[in-house]
Amino acid sequence: MKIDIKHIAELSRISLTDAELEKFTPQMKTILESATVLQEVDTSNVQPMKKRIAFDQLREDVSKKGLTQEEVLKNANHREEGFVKVYGELFGSIEES
Amino acid sequence: MLKDKDKKVKYDNEKYDLIVGLEIHIQTKTKSKMFCSCPTGYFHKEPNTHVCPVCLGLPGALPVPNKRALELCILMGLATNCDINNEIHFDRKHYFYPDLPKGYQISQYKQPICSDGYVTVSNGVRVDIERIHQEEDVAKSTHHTESSTGKEYSLIDYNKSGVPLIEIVTKPTIRTAKDAKDFATKIRQIARYLGISDADMEKGQMRCEPNISMQEKGKWEYKDGQILPLGDYELNSKVEVKNIGSITAVEKSIDYEVQRIIKKLEEGKKIKQQTRGWNADKNITEFQRSKETADDYRYMPEPDIPVIEISTEDIERISEKIVELPDEKINKYIEKWGISEYAADVISSSRENAKYFERLQKELSKTLDEKEAAVEASNWLMGTVFAIGNLNIDIKDLSLLILAFKDGLLTKSKAEEVLRECLENNKDIKEELERLKEEQEKSSENIDGIVDTVIKENTKAVEDYKSGKKASLGFLLGQVMQVTKGTADPNEVRNILKEKLE
Repeated sequence: MKIDIKHIAELSRISLTDAELEKFTPQMKTILESATVLQEVDTSNVQPMKKRIAFDQLREDVSKKGLTQEEVLKNANHREEGFVKVYGELFGSIEES
Repeated sequence: MLKDKDKKVKYDNEKYDLIVGLEIHIQTKTKSKMFCSCPTGYFHKEPNTHVCPVCLGLPGALPVPNKRALELCILMGLATNCDINNEIHFDRKHYFYPDLPKGYQISQYKQPICSDGYVTVSNGVRVDIERIHQEEDVAKSTHHTESSTGKEYSLIDYNKSGVPLIEIVTKPTIRTAKDAKDFATKIRQIARYLGISDADMEKGQMRCEPNISMQEKGKWEYKDGQILPLGDYELNSKVEVKNIGSITAVEKSIDYEVQRIIKKLEEGKKIKQQTRGWNADKNITEFQRSKETADDYRYMPEPDIPVIEISTEDIERISEKIVELPDEKINKYIEKWGISEYAADVISSSRENAKYFERLQKELSKTLDEKEAAVEASNWLMGTVFAIGNLNIDIKDLSLLILAFKDGLLTKSKAEEVLRECLENNKDIKEELERLKEEQEKSSENIDGIVDTVIKENTKAVEDYKSGKKASLGFLLGQVMQVTKGTADPNEVRNILKEKLE
């Protein structure tokens, strides 16, 4: 099993030191190996256990007031004129969906 | 058209085929967001005031799908000849960015709601649609530099986070920049016609992202929705262009990429799979980043939303909302009503124009035959109504005016004047027309007298006429019309004048 911790870290926008990479790689390996136990179970005849609902039961399109701006910004470390403020240069190189 | 100067620097494109696929995102018009009840209208609103724990991605908050949004997605699929899946499945698409508070976007991966559709663009070219799926929009972020510290930062407004978004993906079957533009135009028109979206690109309600590649002629084939290499040919990577803020930029950015890619290939360079941004000020694309692959998004089924079952009745109910689309209207106008192709095109380009035209035609056809009614309706709509710029002009009033014109009660320019006058001063057109009629009746009794006076006062013109300058009659006619303030029937006046002069 090839594990590319560096790539996973990049996707999560986390920078890891070489020492950390060395430390996490075997840890991730252990996690994935534990999970392979699940893959040994034969599920070919098992239906996915997912709830089903009819189209009619969906939420009607009615709008309601949510949180106040004060509440929204309560957990933000930084704010500016009602916006959440985040620092970081890497954002410039990442896509806005 | 290209200027000669530009032609010289253009690279020869005998060698390559252009292959384009388009991704179009459209915000659909709902009152509440895709998975929560927060209001959607975020334009010019105070930041972070249309937000709740769901669209803020707080732990434990659960998404609840919006019925209307899904109906609009299905409606778009039906209008573009797609198959509609009988189940709706949502998936999580993971990536990390501050505009995506959950760390994933709820989207659809393996089973989109709509698939395998097509639309035909204006020149008869068919563009195949691979899929249309439902997802949610992200927050709005703007990027700045702190003046005191020089640090880069972003300001985020979550009002847009969770607004319903549909993504339309074409197959890579578009072969020219013009077809790509025409396809985007058609999609925008359908979205507006069906009330799915206002699809204003400047406001970000519609976003187009072309995927562009150039392949050597004869070295590839199109099979099962994919571009495949022939023999040992290695396909060139594709380039995705973002930040396109207008329909014309769709065409321009593709034209630009064609030139850029051919230049690279001719220099023997490899094309890197990448995302580029359109710079509308400079009319160029700029490198943004290397593209993430589908694997990097680590799609997984969304466990918080049940499978939604769509019945045939649901689809029938939704399809009832489909109104006649522009193509069908154009055909009807031309074939049935004998309207010119140009007029049919202009009238059907917006639903409001088409609606007004059809109502006017219907009203007029109570008196005129349906073709004549259609011709008059189109002439008056494209002339007078467009000139006044008001589609609220009462249909009954306007049709009375048109019929009065047809009866010869007043000239077209006089009719326009009456219409403007009535609109500006809130006068009743019907009363105004009756008043005109009375005046005309009165004046036609007086018309003999007026003609006599005009003849007496314009001896020079009379002599000219008698000596063979027939054009003078027009001058005399004008004089009479002026005295009668345009109410007299010009043909009648002409006859009386001739009679008296000869």
